[in-house]
Amino acid sequence: MLDFSILTEYFPLYLEGFLNTIKASVLALIGSFLLGTVIAIFRISGVKLLQWFGTAYVEFIRNIPILIVVLFFSWGLPSIGVKLDGFAAGTLGLTVYTSAFIAEAIRAGIQSVPKGQSEAARSAGMTYIQTMIHVILPQAIKLVIPPLSNQFINLIKNSSVLTIVAGLDLMYFSDKISSETYVIFSTYIFAAMFYLVLTLPMSYGASVLERKWAKNS
Amino acid sequence: MITFHEVNKFYGDFQVLTGINLHVKQGEVVVVLGPSGSGKSTMLRCINRLEDTSSGELTVNNVRVDDRKTDLNKLRRKIGMVFQHFNLYPHKKVIDNITLAPIKALGVSKAEAAETAMYYLEKVGIAEKANAYPSQLSGGQQQRVAIARGLAVKPEIMLFDEPTSALDPEMVGEVLDVMKALAREGMTMVVVTHEMGFAREVADRVIFMDQGKIVEEATPEEFFSAPKEERAQLFLSRLLNH
Repeated sequence: MLDFSILTEYFPLYLEGFLNTIKASVLALIGSFLLGTVIAIFRISGVKLLQWFGTAYVEFIRNIPILIVVLFFSWGLPSIGVKLDGFAAGTLGLTVYTSAFIAEAIRAGIQSVPKGQSEAARSAGMTYIQTMIHVILPQAIKLVIPPLSNQFINLIKNSSVLTIVAGLDLMYFSDKISSETYVIFSTYIFAAMFYLVLTLPMSYGASVLERKWAKNS
Repeated sequence: MITFHEVNKFYGDFQVLTGINLHVKQGEVVVVLGPSGSGKSTMLRCINRLEDTSSGELTVNNVRVDDRKTDLNKLRRKIGMVFQHFNLYPHKKVIDNITLAPIKALGVSKAEAAETAMYYLEKVGIAEKANAYPSQLSGGQQQRVAIARGLAVKPEIMLFDEPTSALDPEMVGEVLDVMKALAREGMTMVVVTHEMGFAREVADRVIFMDQGKIVEEATPEEFFSAPKEERAQLFLSRLLNH
């Protein structure tokens, strides 16, 4: 059964990994949200070149394994002279990978606001930007919250790829503990619990928001 | 005020509008009739360029609508529009639905916009709903708010795109009453509708369209008592005999 001495003895290592996982996740969450929003706007901009770039970015990134994206930042970039440590390379890879999925969620949200909404605003003389800010985005955000929270939960779990580039995350230290103690089962069960501490409140928060907004609309 | 000269419009190979010639004078109420798919709504939506024309000339207040260089936002502030499905902003209260464009597009102060909004809400008879959300209103009430919203930018022309087609029959009257009042005050109106009673009573002129063309143009008396074109006769007989 569970060997609790692992948890008590190696708690400082777990904690360091846990904090680094939080740090990587928060940075990647902010980064991928901003990057994803920009890519989504490219895709609906109506400007051919931007649309083409946005589509190529999304289709390329989301159809390759996250491992390869992360390896690109840790081994690919140094070959052209850019050196990053494991944490930076891993977080950057996580950001880029997640941004492709977020771009799709945001684009779908914006496009599922009925066309009549922008027609009403534009026909009253409001500009494209004013229409976006005051009419489309406030409605899109409610549609985007469920898929977006899924992506953020995936992001936290995917942050475990930092381990392969020695990113000092929770998974990295769990590997370390298990190779020192030869205790596999308990070590990773405790690691899973640390991940749940992060992801469960997110799922719960998302469903609360969803219910609250469902009432108002 | 609105002039179509030999306007054509294509969707790919399909021609939706063919050789449209039409002149709407200031203060005139023009009602556009015709079977569905005849291009009525498309023609209406060209006037504020929600749809682009493919060729010909279209001017509003002597400004070319079909010119790329025309400041569309400025032009559109002179033209109010009411839609079949109301298109109220569901996340905003009634009053904020009405004040949004005046504040953002015209740069009117919040207080002044709210005052104007209340004036038009009184006029369409639902001032008491100012703080409700659109979803709390009936269809007829929503459409009256939409009319107030259209009027709040103080347009010179109002366009109506089947404003009563999505309403329960018993709510049609309250919307038509507001439109009649507007017509009496001398607003220039172009109305796409299936409400023959409204056309007969309010229109200065009736336009009948079929297959993207204006087939007949007449006063309501002429049109309803003795339509000249066979297609119009058929259309009217089908409406009256069922």
